[in-house]
Amino acid sequence: MKSIGKMSLGELGAFVCTQLRKQGIRVVLSGGACVAIYTDNRYESLDLDFVENAPTERTRIVEALNEIGFIEKDRYFKHPETDFIIEFPAGPLAVGSEPVRDIQEMEFSTGRLSLLSPTDCIKDRLAAYYHWNDAQCLEQAILVAGARNVDLNEVRRWSAAESKSAEFRKIRKRLSEAARKGNNS
Amino acid sequence: MLEPLLGSRNKERILLYLRIRKEGYAREISRFFGTDLAPIQKQLERLENGGVLYSRSVGRTRLYGLNPRYPFLSELRPLLDKALAFYPSDEKEKLTMVRTRPRRKGKPL
Repeated sequence: MKSIGKMSLGELGAFVCTQLRKQGIRVVLSGGACVAIYTDNRYESLDLDFVENAPTERTRIVEALNEIGFIEKDRYFKHPETDFIIEFPAGPLAVGSEPVRDIQEMEFSTGRLSLLSPTDCIKDRLAAYYHWNDAQCLEQAILVAGARNVDLNEVRRWSAAESKSAEFRKIRKRLSEAARKGNNS
Repeated sequence: MLEPLLGSRNKERILLYLRIRKEGYAREISRFFGTDLAPIQKQLERLENGGVLYSRSVGRTRLYGLNPRYPFLSELRPLLDKALAFYPSDEKEKLTMVRTRPRRKGKPL
Protein backbone atom coordinates (compact mmCIF):
# COMPACT_ATOMS: atom_id res chain seq x y z
CA MET A 1 0.00 0.00 0.00
CA LYS A 2 1.24 3.46 -0.95
CA SER A 3 2.00 5.88 1.85
CA ILE A 4 -0.58 8.64 2.27
CA GLY A 5 1.98 11.23 1.20
CA LYS A 6 2.30 9.58 -2.24
CA MET A 7 -1.40 9.09 -2.92
CA SER A 8 -3.16 11.04 -5.68
CA LEU A 9 -6.44 12.76 -4.93
CA GLY A 10 -8.45 9.79 -6.19
CA GLU A 11 -6.30 7.26 -4.37
CA LEU A 12 -6.59 9.16 -1.11
CA GLY A 13 -10.33 9.60 -1.58
CA ALA A 14 -10.71 5.85 -2.13
CA PHE A 15 -8.51 5.08 0.88
CA VAL A 16 -10.51 7.36 3.19
CA CYS A 17 -13.84 6.17 1.81
CA THR A 18 -12.83 2.55 2.37
CA GLN A 19 -11.56 3.18 5.89
CA LEU A 20 -14.82 4.89 6.80
CA ARG A 21 -16.86 2.14 5.16
CA LYS A 22 -15.10 -0.42 7.35
CA GLN A 23 -16.46 1.50 10.35
CA GLY A 24 -19.96 1.48 8.88
CA ILE A 25 -19.75 5.14 7.83
CA ARG A 26 -20.98 5.74 4.29
CA VAL A 27 -19.76 8.89 2.61
CA VAL A 28 -19.79 10.19 -0.96
CA LEU A 29 -17.20 12.47 -2.51
CA SER A 30 -18.65 15.68 -3.94
CA GLY A 31 -17.47 19.13 -4.95
CA GLY A 32 -14.36 20.08 -6.89
CA ALA A 33 -12.55 16.80 -6.14
CA CYS A 34 -15.04 14.98 -8.41
CA VAL A 35 -14.20 17.47 -11.18
CA ALA A 36 -10.48 16.73 -10.70
CA ILE A 37 -11.10 12.97 -10.91
CA TYR A 38 -13.41 13.13 -13.93
CA THR A 39 -11.12 15.48 -15.85
CA ASP A 40 -7.87 13.67 -14.99
CA ASN A 41 -6.73 16.73 -13.02
CA ARG A 42 -7.36 19.30 -15.73
CA TYR A 43 -8.89 21.04 -12.75
CA GLU A 44 -6.77 20.64 -9.64
CA SER A 45 -8.23 20.40 -6.17
CA LEU A 46 -6.70 19.87 -2.77
CA ASP A 47 -10.05 19.58 -1.01
CA LEU A 48 -11.87 16.32 -0.54
CA ASP A 49 -15.45 17.09 0.44
CA PHE A 50 -17.24 14.01 1.68
CA VAL A 51 -20.95 14.14 2.38
CA GLU A 52 -22.48 11.54 4.68
CA ASN A 53 -24.86 9.27 2.86
CA ALA A 54 -26.56 8.51 6.16
CA PRO A 55 -26.33 10.69 9.28
CA THR A 56 -23.34 9.73 11.43
CA GLU A 57 -22.12 11.06 14.75
CA ARG A 58 -19.19 13.38 14.21
CA THR A 59 -17.16 11.64 16.91
CA ARG A 60 -17.24 8.38 14.93
CA ILE A 61 -15.83 10.14 11.86
CA VAL A 62 -13.15 11.84 13.97
CA GLU A 63 -12.12 8.50 15.52
CA ALA A 64 -12.01 6.71 12.16
CA LEU A 65 -9.87 9.44 10.60
CA ASN A 66 -7.60 9.68 13.63
CA GLU A 67 -6.83 5.98 13.12
CA ILE A 68 -5.30 6.76 9.71
CA GLY A 69 -3.48 9.85 10.95
CA PHE A 70 -5.87 12.65 10.01
CA ILE A 71 -6.32 15.23 12.74
CA GLU A 72 -9.25 17.63 12.93
CA LYS A 73 -8.58 21.34 12.99
CA ASP A 74 -11.35 23.94 12.54
CA ARG A 75 -13.68 21.25 11.11
CA TYR A 76 -11.05 20.24 8.50
CA PHE A 77 -8.91 17.12 8.67
CA LYS A 78 -5.21 17.31 7.86
CA HIS A 79 -2.46 14.73 7.67
CA PRO A 80 1.21 15.59 8.15
CA GLU A 81 2.27 13.77 4.95
CA THR A 82 -0.16 15.35 2.48
CA ASP A 83 -1.46 18.75 1.38
CA PHE A 84 -4.91 17.31 0.69
CA ILE A 85 -7.57 18.45 3.15
CA ILE A 86 -10.64 16.45 4.07
CA GLU A 87 -13.91 18.10 5.00
CA PHE A 88 -17.40 16.87 5.74
CA PRO A 89 -19.87 19.52 4.59
CA ALA A 90 -23.31 19.25 6.12
CA GLY A 91 -25.63 16.74 4.49
CA PRO A 92 -27.97 15.57 3.21
CA LEU A 93 -26.38 14.33 0.01
CA ALA A 94 -28.09 16.59 -2.51
CA VAL A 95 -27.62 18.53 -5.70
CA GLY A 96 -29.58 21.71 -5.23
CA SER A 97 -32.85 20.72 -3.61
CA GLU A 98 -32.90 17.16 -4.95
CA PRO A 99 -31.42 14.06 -3.29
CA VAL A 100 -28.62 12.23 -5.10
CA ARG A 101 -29.82 8.86 -6.42
CA ASP A 102 -26.98 7.70 -8.66
CA ILE A 103 -23.80 7.11 -6.69
CA GLN A 104 -20.77 6.03 -8.72
CA GLU A 105 -18.08 3.66 -7.52
CA MET A 106 -14.46 3.81 -8.70
CA GLU A 107 -11.77 1.29 -7.86
CA PHE A 108 -8.25 2.42 -6.99
CA SER A 109 -5.29 0.42 -5.69
CA THR A 110 -6.03 2.00 -2.30
CA GLY A 111 -9.71 1.12 -2.11
CA ARG A 112 -13.15 1.89 -3.51
CA LEU A 113 -14.36 5.45 -3.88
CA SER A 114 -18.03 6.49 -3.83
CA LEU A 115 -18.60 9.73 -5.68
CA LEU A 116 -21.19 11.80 -7.55
CA SER A 117 -21.89 10.70 -11.12
CA PRO A 118 -20.52 12.98 -13.87
CA THR A 119 -24.03 14.32 -14.52
CA ASP A 120 -24.60 15.06 -10.80
CA CYS A 121 -21.11 16.55 -10.62
CA ILE A 122 -22.17 19.02 -13.31
CA LYS A 123 -25.36 19.81 -11.39
CA ASP A 124 -23.32 20.32 -8.21
CA ARG A 125 -21.01 22.77 -9.98
CA LEU A 126 -23.92 24.53 -11.66
CA ALA A 127 -25.66 24.93 -8.30
CA ALA A 128 -22.67 27.00 -7.19
CA TYR A 129 -22.74 28.91 -10.49
CA TYR A 130 -26.48 29.55 -10.31
CA HIS A 131 -26.63 30.55 -6.67
CA TRP A 132 -23.25 32.22 -6.10
CA ASN A 133 -22.58 33.38 -9.65
CA ASP A 134 -19.26 31.53 -9.41
CA ALA A 135 -17.76 31.55 -12.91
CA GLN A 136 -15.05 29.03 -11.96
CA CYS A 137 -17.72 26.46 -11.17
CA LEU A 138 -19.28 26.95 -14.62
CA GLU A 139 -15.88 26.28 -16.19
CA GLN A 140 -15.56 23.13 -14.06
CA ALA A 141 -18.97 21.93 -15.24
CA ILE A 142 -17.89 22.48 -18.85
CA LEU A 143 -14.66 20.55 -18.26
CA VAL A 144 -16.64 17.57 -16.93
CA ALA A 145 -19.08 17.76 -19.87
CA GLY A 146 -16.08 17.51 -22.22
CA ALA A 147 -14.41 14.67 -20.35
CA ARG A 148 -17.26 12.27 -19.54
CA ASN A 149 -20.54 11.01 -20.90
CA VAL A 150 -23.17 13.21 -19.30
CA ASP A 151 -26.93 13.56 -19.63
CA LEU A 152 -27.52 17.20 -20.50
CA ASN A 153 -31.28 16.65 -20.79
CA GLU A 154 -31.23 15.65 -17.14
CA VAL A 155 -29.20 18.76 -16.32
CA ARG A 156 -31.82 20.83 -18.15
CA ARG A 157 -34.66 19.15 -16.21
CA TRP A 158 -32.84 19.70 -12.93
CA SER A 159 -32.12 23.34 -13.78
CA ALA A 160 -35.84 23.87 -14.39
CA ALA A 161 -36.64 22.23 -11.04
CA GLU A 162 -34.21 24.70 -9.45
CA SER A 163 -36.05 27.56 -11.22
CA LYS A 164 -32.92 28.21 -13.27
CA SER A 165 -34.16 27.48 -16.81
CA ALA A 166 -33.19 30.94 -18.07
CA GLU A 167 -29.68 30.55 -16.66
CA PHE A 168 -29.38 27.09 -18.22
CA ARG A 169 -30.39 28.40 -21.64
CA LYS A 170 -27.47 30.86 -21.50
CA ILE A 171 -24.90 28.11 -20.92
CA ARG A 172 -26.50 25.20 -22.79
CA LYS A 173 -24.50 25.83 -25.96
CA ARG A 174 -21.17 25.77 -24.12
CA LEU A 175 -22.07 22.55 -22.32
CA SER A 176 -23.33 20.89 -25.52
CA GLU A 177 -20.25 21.88 -27.51
CA ALA A 178 -17.94 20.58 -24.79
CA ALA A 179 -19.88 17.30 -24.69
CA ARG A 180 -19.81 16.97 -28.50
CA LYS A 181 -16.06 17.63 -28.67
CA GLY A 182 -15.50 15.15 -25.86
CA ASN A 183 -17.45 12.44 -27.71
CA ASN A 184 -15.49 13.06 -30.93
CA SER A 185 -12.05 12.92 -29.30
CA MET B 1 -43.45 29.96 17.61
CA LEU B 2 -41.00 27.47 16.08
CA GLU B 3 -38.95 27.03 19.24
CA PRO B 4 -40.34 23.54 20.03
CA LEU B 5 -39.37 22.47 16.52
CA LEU B 6 -35.99 24.20 16.31
CA GLY B 7 -35.01 23.64 19.93
CA SER B 8 -33.86 27.21 20.36
CA ARG B 9 -35.55 30.59 20.54
CA ASN B 10 -32.48 32.29 19.15
CA LYS B 11 -32.43 29.97 16.15
CA GLU B 12 -36.00 31.03 15.37
CA ARG B 13 -35.08 34.69 15.78
CA ILE B 14 -32.09 34.34 13.47
CA LEU B 15 -34.01 32.50 10.76
CA LEU B 16 -36.92 34.97 10.83
CA TYR B 17 -34.54 37.89 10.78
CA LEU B 18 -32.64 36.53 7.78
CA ARG B 19 -35.84 35.53 6.00
CA ILE B 20 -36.97 39.16 6.08
CA ARG B 21 -33.74 41.12 5.97
CA LYS B 22 -31.89 38.69 3.64
CA GLU B 23 -28.56 39.23 5.41
CA GLY B 24 -27.40 40.24 8.86
CA TYR B 25 -24.55 40.04 11.32
CA ALA B 26 -24.48 38.72 14.85
CA ARG B 27 -24.39 42.04 16.73
CA GLU B 28 -27.17 43.49 14.57
CA ILE B 29 -29.42 40.48 15.20
CA SER B 30 -28.73 40.41 18.93
CA ARG B 31 -29.42 44.16 19.21
CA PHE B 32 -32.64 43.84 17.25
CA PHE B 33 -34.00 41.19 19.60
CA GLY B 34 -32.40 42.75 22.71
CA THR B 35 -30.55 39.58 23.53
CA ASP B 36 -26.95 38.64 24.37
CA LEU B 37 -24.46 38.41 21.55
CA ALA B 38 -22.78 35.10 22.47
CA PRO B 39 -25.85 32.83 22.09
CA ILE B 40 -26.68 34.44 18.75
CA GLN B 41 -23.11 33.87 17.55
CA LYS B 42 -23.29 30.27 18.72
CA GLN B 43 -26.53 29.58 16.86
CA LEU B 44 -25.27 31.34 13.73
CA GLU B 45 -22.24 29.06 13.77
CA ARG B 46 -24.40 25.97 14.27
CA LEU B 47 -26.74 26.92 11.44
CA GLU B 48 -23.79 27.61 9.15
CA ASN B 49 -22.13 24.29 10.02
CA GLY B 50 -25.44 22.60 9.26
CA GLY B 51 -25.57 24.19 5.81
CA VAL B 52 -28.69 26.23 6.60
CA LEU B 53 -26.85 29.55 6.44
CA TYR B 54 -23.95 30.88 4.42
CA SER B 55 -21.60 33.57 5.60
CA ARG B 56 -19.32 36.03 3.87
CA SER B 57 -16.91 38.67 5.09
CA VAL B 58 -17.52 42.33 4.34
CA GLY B 59 -14.66 44.33 5.79
CA ARG B 60 -14.41 43.16 9.39
CA THR B 61 -18.02 42.02 9.54
CA ARG B 62 -19.29 38.50 8.91
CA LEU B 63 -22.65 38.62 7.17
CA TYR B 64 -25.02 35.66 7.27
CA GLY B 65 -27.93 34.70 5.05
CA LEU B 66 -30.14 31.72 4.25
CA ASN B 67 -28.07 29.34 2.12
CA PRO B 68 -29.65 29.12 -1.35
CA ARG B 69 -28.09 25.63 -1.70
CA TYR B 70 -29.73 24.29 1.46
CA PRO B 71 -31.85 21.37 0.13
CA PHE B 72 -34.82 22.20 2.38
CA LEU B 73 -34.86 25.94 1.75
CA SER B 74 -38.00 25.86 -0.38
CA GLU B 75 -39.79 24.15 2.52
CA LEU B 76 -38.20 26.33 5.21
CA ARG B 77 -39.23 29.64 3.66
CA PRO B 78 -43.02 29.09 3.84
CA LEU B 79 -42.63 27.75 7.38
CA LEU B 80 -40.87 30.95 8.43
CA ASP B 81 -43.45 33.05 6.59
CA LYS B 82 -46.25 31.30 8.44
CA ALA B 83 -44.49 31.72 11.77
CA LEU B 84 -44.06 35.41 11.01
CA ALA B 85 -47.78 35.73 10.33
CA PHE B 86 -48.41 34.81 13.99
CA TYR B 87 -46.10 37.51 15.33
CA PRO B 88 -47.67 40.66 16.83
CA SER B 89 -48.04 43.27 14.10
CA ASP B 90 -45.75 45.79 15.82
CA GLU B 91 -42.89 43.26 16.00
CA LYS B 92 -43.50 42.19 12.44
CA GLU B 93 -43.43 45.78 11.28
CA LYS B 94 -40.22 46.45 13.15
CA LEU B 95 -38.65 43.50 11.36
CA THR B 96 -39.89 44.35 7.89
CA MET B 97 -39.76 48.16 7.91
CA VAL B 98 -36.11 48.90 7.48
CA ARG B 99 -34.54 51.67 5.46
CA THR B 100 -32.67 50.06 2.56
CA ARG B 101 -32.24 53.09 0.32
CA PRO B 102 -28.89 54.89 0.57
CA ARG B 103 -28.30 57.81 2.87
CA ARG B 104 -25.42 60.22 2.36
CA LYS B 105 -22.90 60.32 5.20
CA GLY B 106 -23.43 63.30 7.52
CA LYS B 107 -26.91 64.15 6.22
CA PRO B 108 -29.04 65.57 9.07
CA LEU B 109 -32.13 63.59 10.06
